[in-house]
Amino acid sequence: MITQEIKIINRLGLHARPAATVAQTAGNFECDIKIAKGPIEINAKSIMGVMMLAAEYGSTLRLSCDGKDEKEACAAITQLFADKFNEEI
Amino acid sequence: MFVIKGVPASPGVAIGPAVLLPTADFAVANQHIEATEVKSEIGKFGRAVEKTLADLDANEKKLRDTLGGEYANLMSMHKMILQDPMLKDATIAKIKKEHFSAQAAIFQTLQELASSFDKVSDPFFKERRNDIFDVGKRLVGNLQENKGAFWASIRRPSILIAHDLFPSDTISLQENQIIGFCTDLGGKTSHTAILAQSLKLPAVVALSNAAKQVKEGDTVIVDGENGLLIISPDRYTLARYKKTQREIKKAESLLQTINHLPTVTGDGRNFKLMVNFDPRTDTKENKKLITDGLGLLRTEFLYMNIPQPPSELEQYQIYLSTAKKFDMRPVTIRLADLGADKIPDFPLDEFDKDNNPFMGCRGIRLFLKNPELMHTQLRAIVRTACEVPAQIKIMIPMVSSVEEVRHVRDALNKALAEFAKEGKKPVNKIALGAMIEVPSAAIALDGMIGDIDFLSIGTNDLIQYLIAVDRVNPEVAHMYDPCHPAVLRTIHQIIQTAHQRGRPVSICGEIASDVKMVPMLLGLEVDILSVPPRMFLRIKNRIRNLNFEACSDTAQAALLASSSEEIRSLVEQMNQDEDS
Repeated sequence: MITQEIKIINRLGLHARPAATVAQTAGNFECDIKIAKGPIEINAKSIMGVMMLAAEYGSTLRLSCDGKDEKEACAAITQLFADKFNEEI
Repeated sequence: MFVIKGVPASPGVAIGPAVLLPTADFAVANQHIEATEVKSEIGKFGRAVEKTLADLDANEKKLRDTLGGEYANLMSMHKMILQDPMLKDATIAKIKKEHFSAQAAIFQTLQELASSFDKVSDPFFKERRNDIFDVGKRLVGNLQENKGAFWASIRRPSILIAHDLFPSDTISLQENQIIGFCTDLGGKTSHTAILAQSLKLPAVVALSNAAKQVKEGDTVIVDGENGLLIISPDRYTLARYKKTQREIKKAESLLQTINHLPTVTGDGRNFKLMVNFDPRTDTKENKKLITDGLGLLRTEFLYMNIPQPPSELEQYQIYLSTAKKFDMRPVTIRLADLGADKIPDFPLDEFDKDNNPFMGCRGIRLFLKNPELMHTQLRAIVRTACEVPAQIKIMIPMVSSVEEVRHVRDALNKALAEFAKEGKKPVNKIALGAMIEVPSAAIALDGMIGDIDFLSIGTNDLIQYLIAVDRVNPEVAHMYDPCHPAVLRTIHQIIQTAHQRGRPVSICGEIASDVKMVPMLLGLEVDILSVPPRMFLRIKNRIRNLNFEACSDTAQAALLASSSEEIRSLVEQMNQDEDS
């Protein structure tokens, strides 16, 4: 299992569209992918779960991937956050 | 055996297996299934998800082609919500472990999800709960087998148990093997009840939660005489009701013998007895009735279930064939009383967001805002009057002031002038009258009476407005009370005002076909009663067995009464005297 801290650096936070992107990307992998914010941990493949985190600008999340393709999954999702979901160019 | 008390909506007794109308209601939180149904319920859920996915795909494509990417993205988000493992897993778990129906499981899961969103303080995320429910509604919509398939699945005479029934559903009940029905909502005078009476379908309404207590296939008895729903009756009860059914049939054949006799009381006072005619439910039996005319032709049905308002020709054909059935007798056509619970399919601005539709834009109010609709109907009526010897009477619904009557009079004169140009003229002068059902019209009737040729008391709505009680709200439906002192005094005042100016008064509401209330109405000196065909002979029989002097005395006493209770005991006394 890989665990990774990620920071929300896009201004709007993890709103509907980024949440959709995260869930979609997570859905491409076989491994279990969880994202936690404080005490709440959700399935990253669930768009509703990701939205429920209501992760705002500046907050820190904990990503954990567990399974065959965990390395690739972790890299792909971390990249999404780093690219600010391609929203702010 | 289990008995639930409701409100009797249409007389008679029906016995048969229950069928449950699939509820159109999204919010079903507590519906259980048998353990053996788990598999099929999960299958149902799966198929609904697939169908919803296909719908969303189609919508996404449509939106991308028309409104562009932004909206299409919303659809793709909805697709993700639909396929979200949280939704799927929780729903299936609820079906499997707690034996909820698929619909209840979906609704509960959505509620749980939504409440998690409610906890979030950011308003942006809170809004997402709407997306979730949007998807949920679509899903539940696809879960319900379509209505056509439901009706087709009924293969033997059955009793329909529904949460609520629209008049448009009611009308097709008989062709779908339904011999009686029960609803959780509704009241004695809801239009569904009135339709049930004209279809001779025993019905009980306002049962609160019958739809949840009856299981598909249970033997049930609908006791439309006493307002009871009996679930899984014991042998004794079943036998007793079968006997009652036979007695009702016998009494009805006895009534046929008075058809050709005049409507006159024992002491020689004549009344006119007409029918509330519905061309859609005209049976062979109804055709045999010897009536004094058509007291009320409701025309709303012409406007329902069609994409645009009915043309002059379409209306004319129906009015013509109807009027011909009454040869020289009066034919009263009421202008369409659209609005409230009768909303046509074609769009009219007035119906948007009406929170209190019974006080909103209905009846003549709607027509005055849409003069072309009224013009078409008036032309169709005038055209009919030019063809037939019947005396055509036009009745205006929901009149609240004399100005409204004058507007209609002007519109009628315009239509008459148009036909005069073509050299056409009504065989008999068309009479214009008002339906008195709004308290303001009743109270200020003396100011209006000079402008109308006749009037009819619409007691159903008049009582509703006088007592300020919504007759389809089961919480207050019991307060709807024809014996309220205000009701009798208002009817009395209307009749007196009309008689001073020589105008006849008819009553065409539910009260006119209430066997117990008839003596009171005669005592108040109403001139005409108009009743559904199935009540015609019963009411005629009642009048023939009454003594007008006695009715008059009772009515005078009732006008002095201070409570419904006193009036009701006078009514009961009158009926006991007759029975003995």
